[in-house]
Amino acid sequence: MSFYTLQKSESNAALLNDYDDEAFLGPNIRCVMFALDRETYGIQVSKIHEVLRVGQIRRVPGAGRQVLGVINVRGVIVTVVDARVLFNMNPKPIDDLCRIIIVELDSERTVGILVDFVMEVKDIPEKKFEPLSSTKDNPSRYIHGIAHFQEQVIILIDVDTLFGHYE
Amino acid sequence: MDEEILGDFLVEASELVEQLNGQLIALEQSPTDANLLNAVFRGFHTVKGGAGFLGIVPLVEVCHRAENVFDKIRNGDLAYDAVAADVILRAFDVISDAIEALNAGERDLPKNDAQLLTELDLLAKGQLSVPSSTNNTFLQPSPRSVSLQLPEDLDPDGEMTDEEFEALLQQRDGLGQTRPDAPPLRLPEGVDPDGEMTDEEFEALLQQRDGLGQTPPIAPLKLPEGVDPDGEMSDEEFEALLQQRDRLTGGKALSEVSDSAAPSTPGIATAELRSSPSQPTQRDESDAVNSATKANAESTVRVDTRRLDEIMNLVGELVLVRNRLLTLRGSHGSSEEIANAVGNLDHVTTDLQNSVMKTRMQPVKKVFGRFPRVVRDLARKLGKEIELELKGEETDLDKNLVEALADPLVHLVRNSVDHGIEMPSVRLAAGKSKVGKVILAAEQEGDHILLSITDDGKGMDPDVLRRKAVEKGLLDEVAANQLDDKSAFELILSAGFSTAEQISDISGRGVGMDVVKTMITKLNGSIDIRSVLGQGTQINIRVPLTLAILPTLMVSFAEESYAIPLTSVQEIFDYDPLKTNKIDGQRMVRLRERSVPLYYLNEWLAPEGPLEKDNQKVVIVAIGNQRAGLVVDQVNGQEEVVIKPLGVMLKKVAGYAGATITGNGNIALILDLPGVIQRFV
Repeated sequence: MSFYTLQKSESNAALLNDYDDEAFLGPNIRCVMFALDRETYGIQVSKIHEVLRVGQIRRVPGAGRQVLGVINVRGVIVTVVDARVLFNMNPKPIDDLCRIIIVELDSERTVGILVDFVMEVKDIPEKKFEPLSSTKDNPSRYIHGIAHFQEQVIILIDVDTLFGHYE
Repeated sequence: MDEEILGDFLVEASELVEQLNGQLIALEQSPTDANLLNAVFRGFHTVKGGAGFLGIVPLVEVCHRAENVFDKIRNGDLAYDAVAADVILRAFDVISDAIEALNAGERDLPKNDAQLLTELDLLAKGQLSVPSSTNNTFLQPSPRSVSLQLPEDLDPDGEMTDEEFEALLQQRDGLGQTRPDAPPLRLPEGVDPDGEMTDEEFEALLQQRDGLGQTPPIAPLKLPEGVDPDGEMSDEEFEALLQQRDRLTGGKALSEVSDSAAPSTPGIATAELRSSPSQPTQRDESDAVNSATKANAESTVRVDTRRLDEIMNLVGELVLVRNRLLTLRGSHGSSEEIANAVGNLDHVTTDLQNSVMKTRMQPVKKVFGRFPRVVRDLARKLGKEIELELKGEETDLDKNLVEALADPLVHLVRNSVDHGIEMPSVRLAAGKSKVGKVILAAEQEGDHILLSITDDGKGMDPDVLRRKAVEKGLLDEVAANQLDDKSAFELILSAGFSTAEQISDISGRGVGMDVVKTMITKLNGSIDIRSVLGQGTQINIRVPLTLAILPTLMVSFAEESYAIPLTSVQEIFDYDPLKTNKIDGQRMVRLRERSVPLYYLNEWLAPEGPLEKDNQKVVIVAIGNQRAGLVVDQVNGQEEVVIKPLGVMLKKVAGYAGATITGNGNIALILDLPGVIQRFV
């Protein structure tokens, strides 16, 4: 199983900025961007342990629909959930571009999220994010905010809320 | 408060509290044991020292008084009787609770119960002789007021340092105790009376002063050779001196105290530790003690268990890599050198795995340690006389098991004390000794640990149990009468079964024994009960040595493997549809004149395929008192597996006890049999 570990440091944040005026936009949130059904999502880098290619996923009969199964990450059993099912989209077969983002909620709880593909790591100014102004009665609480940034709409996911009910 | 120092203090204090717990109970059996008394004294003293440094006033107050009491006791001025023990144990509980609260992150401790402090003071003065509960008026704080003297160099309006406060406290507490004609204290040479005192100097002073009023005979202390009397003392040297002195006071003599110091400033006076000759044997002894404790301190290291778990994980992975290499060595015609290297790796990995397993082992003493107190308190409350004997305390078992066993054992021991042992009068009438006996024993039995709780109490009457079971509607009369005695005893493990005539707050709510049973089953253990009416009861618990490694039977469905805990597996045979019957909608298999329910695991684990296939097997498992047959597609043989948790998201899915990584690197799910059956019923 091959993998690459993401840099958690914020040190070279400035190098990644393409626009000069962003220096005035205050602190950045460094996010891993991934795609799901033509939309772009982001998860804070500080929450992410690593990103893995999809290897063998062991099915767990009887588990909830969103649970794909479990994988072995260097001796630790990690539950993998399908982000598409989690966000009420139609599931699609796993292909070569799919990745599993390993999220560390705390030292004892680790969850893998299967996404369509992982794009890049980006620093997004905190100010760019605004709360979701939804027309729905109860907007999804796991969406931390949305940012219109560099011609993209980025949906920032709050993983703690997303998995918070599995205490 | 400095969190780091506090952390260190808490680690040390928690250990001391644990030791004190055992020592205090042991003391009741041998109240004059000088070593024990000294150990207890030192325990309170050390906790007080640390608490004083951190300014934890409530702890200091209690420890200091307890220390005073033990100082008197070890000097023979007081006896450690039941009354003293009650007060001291209460004080100990306060200390233990305080440390627990601090450990839990609490930083503001509640004020001490004034009555407890007064009782301790009275106890130290030898004035507390009547059981406290009947004598509350007597215990009002004495109205006598004394003026405390501030050290001269102290600005009354300024902030006090902890040490100054401590000094004042000591001064005040000491007033009632030290003899008025106590010889004054003297500063050691080389100490500037106006300068700042070091902790050690101050501590020495305190000790000197505390000792003054209590033991008149005086013997000189001697510094170890090679110590410059004027130079700074190291902690070890000081500790050696203290030990030397403690030994002396425990026996007959006390440190020499020299004359002439300002009596008005006891708080900042200092003692002189003179280097004059003493008996060489004493010094050698204390040196030996000192070096022994030193060696002990250096040979142990504190490790977070999570780190150990990580190491376990990595070792597990290493084992897998080794296994893969071993297979490669077999399949490829590799050179002999490589084969040898892999062989070496094989040995080293096996040894490494065993060593890491051993680091997780702890003596069962950790659990047993709390029982003397449990039994003592309960016996006193119930008015029974009970002697508790502990056997095999050194038996090692997995740390997780040690923790998991604590609650069930407490329950069983309480049961023995409450229901098993009779009142002294009843015992005498039955021709038994007045003192009941409870034996708690542990021993290793192959890869299992056998724990037994034996009492010589009234035993259980199987007929009463059968009748009760019918009364409570657990069984009908016919079934109850068919039970053999052993099965009748096991009735007490069923939910909703309590034979106590009166419900006490100790046991007898009928929720206990089945919880114990569930807990033990969870640990892959078993309970077995023997009882003879009028002679006593023995409860045996068998649990595996470790929770981390589980012997399993590997089975598979459609290429996916599952592990069944081997302890539950009774037999395996070929599935034959002709030997099954459908009774009341449930498939049963005939097994030696008995019909056992059959569960087709396919239905749950591989629902897309057909229920019945060729070459299926039936695995007969025992779950509690029931048996069930599991129909599986394939049996792959036994394997010892390392249990890994499935994670929070799957915790609530019934039927799984965890997962493991098999020899070929795949994941196998471990079945939790009670959960599996639950799925089908």
